Amino acid sequence: MAQLLKKVRQYNLPVTGFMWLYALLSVYPLVWMIFYSLKNNDEIFVTNPFGFPTHLRFENYTQAWSNYNVPVYFMNSVLVAAATVSGAIILSVMFSYATARLQWRLRGIAHTYILIGMFIPIQVIMIPLAILVRDFHLANTYGALIVPYIAFNLSFTSIVFYGFFRSIPGELEESACIDGASIYRTFFSIMLPIIKPALATMVIFIFLNSWNEFTMAVILITKESLKTLPLGLLFFQGQFTTDWGAMGAAMTIASLPTVLIYMIFSEQVENALTVGSAVKG
Amino acid sequence: MKKFLGNKTAIALFTLPALLVYTIMVFYPIMQTFFRSLYEWDGLTAGTFIGLDNYKNLFTDSVFFTSVYNGLIFAGIITVTQIGIASILAFAIADGAVRGRRLLRISYFIPVVLSVTVVCQLWLSIYNGQYGLMNKLFEMLGMSYRQDWLSGSKSAIIAVAFVNAWQYMGYHFALLLAGVRSVPEQYMEAARIDGATKLQAIRKIMIPMMAETYKFCLVFAVTGGLNAFANMYIMTGGGPGTSTYTLTYLMYRSAFRVGEFGYGSAAAAMLVIECLLATLIINRLVARERITY
Repeated sequence: MAQLLKKVRQYNLPVTGFMWLYALLSVYPLVWMIFYSLKNNDEIFVTNPFGFPTHLRFENYTQAWSNYNVPVYFMNSVLVAAATVSGAIILSVMFSYATARLQWRLRGIAHTYILIGMFIPIQVIMIPLAILVRDFHLANTYGALIVPYIAFNLSFTSIVFYGFFRSIPGELEESACIDGASIYRTFFSIMLPIIKPALATMVIFIFLNSWNEFTMAVILITKESLKTLPLGLLFFQGQFTTDWGAMGAAMTIASLPTVLIYMIFSEQVENALTVGSAVKG
Repeated sequence: MKKFLGNKTAIALFTLPALLVYTIMVFYPIMQTFFRSLYEWDGLTAGTFIGLDNYKNLFTDSVFFTSVYNGLIFAGIITVTQIGIASILAFAIADGAVRGRRLLRISYFIPVVLSVTVVCQLWLSIYNGQYGLMNKLFEMLGMSYRQDWLSGSKSAIIAVAFVNAWQYMGYHFALLLAGVRSVPEQYMEAARIDGATKLQAIRKIMIPMMAETYKFCLVFAVTGGLNAFANMYIMTGGGPGTSTYTLTYLMYRSAFRVGEFGYGSAAAAMLVIECLLATLIINRLVARERITY
């Protein structure tokens, strides 16, 4: 009873009200998008702009999928994100293992050198990067996005892995060495399994970053058939003036993978995206 | 053991690929940005060395000052709203006296995982003067406050900044919530025994103990605001006029629309300086000593 009374006293109406109100403000635009992806123009603009659709028009989705380039954008996003995730993870996990565990003279310098990239806003190197991509004849290929995306994720990912590798006791390698394992075997069979949680976190981090990346893509990609979702959706406002429902459907399709991943792994996604504060702070 | 961990082939194999990609795609461009800011350069030919002329021109260009000013406005709005709202929500959630915490947490964070294009398109329709939700809402409430939110030269930058603030509030919320949880229970307990109210305890104990987290949030919000680009690019195209230009947008225009790559590089170099300055100031003002508990 005393417990209950305490609970009631603690219950603060203005604060709780604010919490739910903000939750509504945060989610409603997204819900509204899903609603109008199932409406026709008349219902969106005039008869029922706010509420649940009166008649579920799933044909908007088939419309968006078949008449506009949505499947192309979607596949491009999948391909670019998959290549970026695997490339960045492989390179950074190897690099950080060498700087954190192996014995060589310049490892401190190598670590600091990679660290610099974390403090430079990517916008700053756009201009030389665009020229570089052109000079390497990467312009308007998948490489124009994949290679820079991998490069950009290296600094941060390496720093995170570095921290994890440093926390592993040295006895593990000693015993592996005594048992006659090679350094490669030690790396793949002992070290990688230990840092699995970090690997999972960074996979999510890089995936979300590359799936949603916009600034570089808009400068490096002009060809329609190579556009990723954030780029492809950019021109919908003009294209879809007559067909808002399909536009909502296209945007819903584009948001589905990241929102679903977040719904399923909410804790891991939050950790992945906020892990930076522990490192950068 | 020494031989085992000092395997030269392994070291080369492990580090060279990353170093190569990073050097070519990140480090070399950083150097180039500074170097090219001293050139009159069209991005195609070798360009001519003109010393600090690009910088002189920047300082006589009124668009440069508009851009810096907008960056500061943008950074100011997102810093205050994001950190302010995130603090209230994080303390309230951590307090534990509310039902549906998981649902609330997910609601706050969901905009963070959306693509910036989707978010901007959504808000374009919400802000729209003819059929936008914002005006419809005012209509429903019986207020004649209809307007085209993005076409006013004063209101546009504010409207755009709020979209960014809306999208990334959840990020700061998650950071601060982690910060609240890392403060040991005993401190709050001790405060309660000493008769402090909840608000006093938060103000006098929680917030100072979370100085490191706040520092990171500040740096993240301020530099993010100064760098803002995607929101303007999608929502206003820098307009109306030049009223939503930021330094990154100016850089983008100069290089990729007007073909003045040297001038754009100078704008980019100014951006680095601006961000470094902001980071230094924040580090100076907040949490000069590391807090241990």
